[in-house]
Amino acid sequence: MQDSGPRTFPKWLLWSLATILLWGTWGLVSKIASGGMDAYLNQLLYTVGLFPLMVFVGWTVSKRSAGEAREGRNRGIFWAFLTGILGGLGNLAFFQALVKGGTASVVAPVTALFPVVTVLLAVVFLRERLGRVQWLGLALAFVAIYLLSV
Amino acid sequence: MHLWLGFAALALVFWGITGVTQKLSTNSISSERSFLWFCWAMVALSAAVLLVARPHTGLGAVVVLSSIAGGTLNGLGAWTSFRALESGGKASIVISLISLYPLLTVGLAVLLLGERLTHMQLAGAITAVIAAILLSLEGPSAESASNHPA
Repeated sequence: MQDSGPRTFPKWLLWSLATILLWGTWGLVSKIASGGMDAYLNQLLYTVGLFPLMVFVGWTVSKRSAGEAREGRNRGIFWAFLTGILGGLGNLAFFQALVKGGTASVVAPVTALFPVVTVLLAVVFLRERLGRVQWLGLALAFVAIYLLSV
Repeated sequence: MHLWLGFAALALVFWGITGVTQKLSTNSISSERSFLWFCWAMVALSAAVLLVARPHTGLGAVVVLSSIAGGTLNGLGAWTSFRALESGGKASIVISLISLYPLLTVGLAVLLLGERLTHMQLAGAITAVIAAILLSLEGPSAESASNHPA
């Protein structure tokens, strides 16, 4: 019998599985939270939950900032800030969907289709091109929304 | 149309736009700095939300903790997804893999919250995940559709 030697679990796979676990659980706790508060308060407390990460990431950024290029930094910060505002508005709508009777098991898959919008915007504004598989994904996304809404 | 579906669609649109703005941000600054400013925008939005949030009394500890945990889980998920991409995982594989997260939400909601899906909704949830995977598989848009924005 041939010994294939010690195998290591790829780090990227561990991080990916951790992401599934974290985001998958987020949908659950959001539904629990939405059972007892409105979307606005949910967004407020959600932001409180971000604080420990802000401290950690802020520390990381300050450690690495010496070697970072300054060119285009303001532009990057502008887009990041806009991403946060839009992401927060998306959160409010997501929480509102849960408050208004949407179940976590249906709202989570519907909202997970957000790449549809990203892809369409990338085609229009970033002049990116879609492959056949992406077109199929786009079509399936609309089928999924229909199936989830009936 | 169900009211919750309208809000879910709104979340999908906002988060979809962030796929593009996030890409524009990380073209100029590091993912950590981008994430930090994303969080500051969340703080700014939450300050604005304070003006419209109604005072709540008698909130249960589970509800409050779930909401705070939501922010931590989602933020950590964004961070682990960046780490997966930085740890050598191919974007098309990592993004496809983490697109599976709604399935975990569905499973947890059915198991822990007692939610029930119709056959159509179950088909829709599976189709949604397939669609999200296909959207990330091919073409230059894959990176811009990579991260859960909120």
